[in-house]
Amino acid sequence: MTIDSTALTQAPLAGPTPKSMLPKVGLRLPRSPKVIAGLALLAPFAVVAVIGRWISPYSPNATDPQHWVQHVLVPGTGPGTGITANYYPLPLPPSAEHWLGTTVFAQDVLSQVLTSTQATLFVGLIAAVIATVLSILFGVTAGYFGGNADEVLSLISNVFLAIPGLPLLIVLADYVPSAGSSILLVAFIIAVTAWAYSSRVLRAQTLSLRNRDFVEAARVTGEGRFRIILAEILPNLVPIVAASFLFTTLYAIYAYVAISFLGLGGSPTSSPPGLWNWGEMLREGFANNAIRGGWWWWWAPPGLCVALLGTGLALVNFGIDEFINPRLRVAGLTRKAAKKAGITSHATLGMTPVVGNRPAVPSLAARSQNVGDAVLEIHGLSVDYGYGDDAVHAVVDCDLVLRRGRVLGLAGESGSGKSTLALAAIRLLRSPAVITGGQVLFHSKPIGGDGPRGTIDMLASDKEELRSVRWSEISVVLQSSMNALNPVITIGAQFDDLLRVHRPKLSRSARVERSGELLDMVGINADRLRSYPHELSGGMRQRAMIAIALALEPQVMILDEPTTALDVVTQREILEELIGLRDRLGFAALFITHDLSLLVELADEIAVMYAGRLMERAPAASLFNAPRLPYTHGLIHCFPPMHGKRERMQGIPGSPPDLNDLPKGCAFHPRCAWAMEQCRHDVPQLAPVNGSAREVACWLHRGDAKVPAELARPDPGVAEVHA
Amino acid sequence: MSAVLRRLLVYFLAAWVAITVSFLLPRVVPGNPVAGAVARASQSGNCNAQCVIAVEEQLGFNVHTSLWDQYVQYMGNLAHGNLGQSWSENAPVSNLILSYLPWTLGLLVVSTTISFFGGTALGIWMAWRRGSWFEWVLPAATFFQALPYFFLALVLVLIFGQTGTMLKWFPSLFGYDIYVVDPGPNWPYITSVLSHAILPAATVVLSSIAGFILSMRNQMVTTMDEDFVLVAAAKGLPTRTVIWYAARNALLPVVSNFTIAISLVVAGQILVEIVFNYPGIGFHLFDALSKLDYSLVQGIFVVITLVVLGANLLADVAYVLIDPRARQAA
Ligand SMILES: Nc1ncnc2c1ncn2[C@@H]1O[C@H](COP(=O)(O)OP(=O)(O)OP(=O)(O)O)[C@@H](O)[C@H]1O
Ligand code: SF4
Ligand SMILES: [Mg+2]
Repeated sequence: MTIDSTALTQAPLAGPTPKSMLPKVGLRLPRSPKVIAGLALLAPFAVVAVIGRWISPYSPNATDPQHWVQHVLVPGTGPGTGITANYYPLPLPPSAEHWLGTTVFAQDVLSQVLTSTQATLFVGLIAAVIATVLSILFGVTAGYFGGNADEVLSLISNVFLAIPGLPLLIVLADYVPSAGSSILLVAFIIAVTAWAYSSRVLRAQTLSLRNRDFVEAARVTGEGRFRIILAEILPNLVPIVAASFLFTTLYAIYAYVAISFLGLGGSPTSSPPGLWNWGEMLREGFANNAIRGGWWWWWAPPGLCVALLGTGLALVNFGIDEFINPRLRVAGLTRKAAKKAGITSHATLGMTPVVGNRPAVPSLAARSQNVGDAVLEIHGLSVDYGYGDDAVHAVVDCDLVLRRGRVLGLAGESGSGKSTLALAAIRLLRSPAVITGGQVLFHSKPIGGDGPRGTIDMLASDKEELRSVRWSEISVVLQSSMNALNPVITIGAQFDDLLRVHRPKLSRSARVERSGELLDMVGINADRLRSYPHELSGGMRQRAMIAIALALEPQVMILDEPTTALDVVTQREILEELIGLRDRLGFAALFITHDLSLLVELADEIAVMYAGRLMERAPAASLFNAPRLPYTHGLIHCFPPMHGKRERMQGIPGSPPDLNDLPKGCAFHPRCAWAMEQCRHDVPQLAPVNGSAREVACWLHRGDAKVPAELARPDPGVAEVHA
Repeated sequence: MSAVLRRLLVYFLAAWVAITVSFLLPRVVPGNPVAGAVARASQSGNCNAQCVIAVEEQLGFNVHTSLWDQYVQYMGNLAHGNLGQSWSENAPVSNLILSYLPWTLGLLVVSTTISFFGGTALGIWMAWRRGSWFEWVLPAATFFQALPYFFLALVLVLIFGQTGTMLKWFPSLFGYDIYVVDPGPNWPYITSVLSHAILPAATVVLSSIAGFILSMRNQMVTTMDEDFVLVAAAKGLPTRTVIWYAARNALLPVVSNFTIAISLVVAGQILVEIVFNYPGIGFHLFDALSKLDYSLVQGIFVVITLVVLGANLLADVAYVLIDPRARQAA
C-alpha cells in the first residue's frame, strides 16, 4: 500500500476555494462511478460488521467433528521428533455444509470471516477517529497560529512521520501486554503511529486558508481565534479531513491485520482472549501450513476481504480527490463520447481534435479580396467544450482576418470566449475542447529562418505540420504567463531548448548570445538567463515570456492579456516595448484584452466578442469613439480611460450569461438598454453597417429601427476618408 | 534556520525518539522482560538471586541503578555500537543485525528501485495516454495496492513457490538453499541467492508499484494542466521534451512523499520476509518477538528506523537536485 491520494500528496492546492462552496461541501460527494463502486464494495462489509455474528452459520470456534475425514500430522510431532504423533483433521474444501470450507481445526471458515469483520472494521474506524482528532489538533493549530507553536508542532509531527509506523507499532504492541485483549488499546496504539501524515497535510492547508480574504475579513472584524477556526477554517478542511480519515482507516485496518498476523493482536484462543479478526485468521492459516497444504480456502477469504475493503475505501477516496482537485476529473470528453465523436480522447495536448463536417470555405485569396496581406484567416470557427448534449458552445461561427504586420484587438468580458477562439485557431486547446467547425488558414511568408511557405490549413494539419509552424511562425503569450515558465529549469534553458529544436545550426555559444540579446530587447539583463523563474518578478516573467515568443521572429504573435496582474506602470512599459518591437520586427499580433481603452492605442482593428460570438468589428478608432453596438458602448464606459479626464463609469448592468443557458435571440438582450422585441427571438448576424468597413451584429442597425444617439456618433474613420 | 538543518534536526530527533522508546518500554511497562527471562532460566533449574542478577546483567537491565543512570549507560553503549546481548542467539545484537542487514537492504533497494522507477514511468505514460484503453490499469492498480503485502506473498507462494502446490517454479523459503550451497563468493551460492530473491522481490514490487503508478499518474495529470506544459507544446518541442517538462515537475510531490512510501514499503517487507523465512531483519524481528528476545527486538527496531531515516535523507537529496527552489532554500 502506498499513498495515491493527490489530495493528500499535494502541497496546498493553488486554486481558490470559493466561500460559496462551504455549506454544501460535506454532502456533495461527486456521484462518480468510482464513488458508487467504492460505496458498493464497502456496504456489505458495513452490514456484516454489525450483523456478522448472528448470520454466521456456526460459531467461529466450534469444531465440526462430523466432517473430520482424514488427519494431518501436527508439525513437530510424530516419528523422528521424540514426541508422540499428534493429528489435526484435514481441512475440508468448500462444500454445501461449509461454503468456504473448514480450518485445520474443523472450524467453519465462513463463520470466522463473518465474525472477524466486526473487530477489524471497529479497530480501523476507532483508530481513524483518534488519529483524525490528533491530526486536526496538531495540524490546524500549527497552521493557524504559526510562529513558535508551528515550529514545535510541525517538528513533532515530522518526527513521528519519519519513524516507520509498523515497526514502532510492533514494538509498542509487543510491550503493552494487555494490548491483544483490548482492541481499544490496539486502536489507540495504531492511531499514535498514524496521525502525523494527515496532520502535515492539514497544517499546509490551514496555512494557505489563513491568508484567504474571508479569513482575514473575519479576523479584522475581531472574531475570536477559536471561532474563526471553527467557523471559517474547519468547514473548508472537510474534504481533506474526509480524505485523510478514509486513508487512516485503511492504514489502521492494514496495521491491525499485520500485527494480528504477527500474533500481537491477541488470539481468540489465548488468555485473555482476543477477538476474531482477519489478520488472526491469516496467522492461523500461515502457522498451520495452510500454504504447503494448498488449503487456500482457509487464508484466501480474509486476505481478499482486506483487499476488497481497501479497494472500496481507495475508490471513495478517488472521488474525494476529484472533488478537491477538479483536474483529475475526466472533464466532458469521456472515452465513450470521444469514440462516438470519432476522435481519440488522449494525447490532445497541442492537438485539439477537429470533428464534424467543415465546409470548405473559399479563402480570401480565392475570393480575391485584399489578397496579399492576410496572414491568418479564421472562418466560421466553432468550439465546444465537451461533446454531445452537455457541450458548452464557447465559440460560435467566428470570422477574423489578421493582416500582415497589423495588430488585431479582441475584446470582451471575461468568459466571452476570447482565449478559446485564439487558442483554437492554433489548436492549443486542451481536452475537453473540440473544434466543431470552420477553417483556419495560415499564409506563411517567413520573416527569418526558413519556415514553410504557402498556405497551411491549420485544422487539417497533422502533428508534424503544426510543429513546423509552431513558435517559429506563430508564437503565443498565454493569458497567465506568470505560470508559463517551467519552474524547475533556468530561463536560459527555456530559450535554449527552443533554439536547439528550431535552429539546429546555431552553436551553443551562439544560442546563449541570441538568448541574451532577446532578454535585452525586452529590458531584462542578460545575466538573468541563469535565473530560475521564481527568482524573477511577475513583470520580468511576462517580459521573459514575450522575449521567448519573439525568439524565432514569428510572423504572428498571439498575445492573450499579456499584461494582466501587473500594475499600470509596468503594463504601460511592457506595452510600449511591444509596440516598438512590432514596428521593428514587423510581426502581426492578435491582442486579447478586456480593456478597450488600451486596445485603441495599440490595435489597427478591434473585434468585440460576447457569449462566444463576434458582435462588432471595426477600425480601432471608429470602434472606440463611435461604437455601434450597445455592448461595446458599455465596455468602453466601464473602464476609466488611461489618461485624459475621468468620466463617470457606467459599466454594464448584470453579468455575462451562463453559456449553458444562453438567452434566446441576441444573447445580450437581458442586459441591453435598447433591447427590442425582435432581440428576444432572433439572433442578429454580423453584417456591414451602411456599407462602411465596420460590421455589427445588432438589430438596432437593421431595417428601420431608430438608432439611439449614443450609438450613432460620427465615425472618425469615415470622417477622415471624407476629409 | 536553514532547510537542511531543519531536516537534519527532524531525523536526529526521530532517531532519538526511537532509541528512547526502545529503552523505556521494557523498563516502564509492567511485567518487564527480566521476569520472563528469570522464569525461563528457572525452567531449566533453580534461579537464585545471583542467577537473577546474571540474567539482568546479560540483558543490560541494571535495575539497581536509577533509570537515568541506565539511560546514560544505554546511550553510551549505543554510541559504541553496542546494542546489548541477544540471549536467544547468544551473540551481540549488533553483530547479528549486521549479518541480517545485507539481506534486507539488498531486497529493499532492488525492489524499491524497480517499483519506483517502473511505477513512475508507467504513471507518466498513463497520464499522457489518458482516456486510452490503458485507463483500465487504474482499477487493477487500485486493487493491487489494496492487497496486504504478506497476503500477496502467500498467493505468490501458493502459485509459483516450491513450497506451494501449483507451479513450483521458484524457491520460496530462506535466502538461499541452506542444505546445498555454502555461503561465500561461489557461483552456486550466488545463483541460489538470486533465485531465492525472485519471489520476495516480486511481492514487494507488485504491492508497492501500484501506489507509485497511481500517485505519479495523478500528479502528472494535474501538472499537464499547467500552462508551462502547454507552452512547451506550443513551442513545437518534441513530444519527448514536453513529457519531460511535465514529468519533472510532477515528480516533486511524489519524491517529497517518499517518506511515507518508504515507511510502508519497509513495513510490508518485514511481513514478506516472515512469509518467505527470508533471513533479513524483518524475519528476525518476528523470530525475536516469538522468543521474547527483547534486546534483539529493540536493536532491530532502532536499526529499521535508521534505515528508513537514511532513505528519507536520500529522497531529500533527490528533491533538492530536481527543484531549484528547494536548492536555494537549502
Ligand atoms: N475546460 C473547459 N470546460 C468547460 N468550459 C470551459 C472550459 N474552458 C473554458 N470554458 C468556458 O468557455 C468560455 C470561454 O472561456 P475563455 O477562456 O475563452 O474566456 P475569455 O474570453 O478568454 O475570458 P477571460 O477574459 O476571463 O480570459 C467560458 O464561459 C468558460 O466558462
Ligand atoms: S440586438 Fe438588441 S439586444 Fe442585442 S445588442 Fe442590439 S439592441 Fe441590444
Ligand atoms: Mg482568456
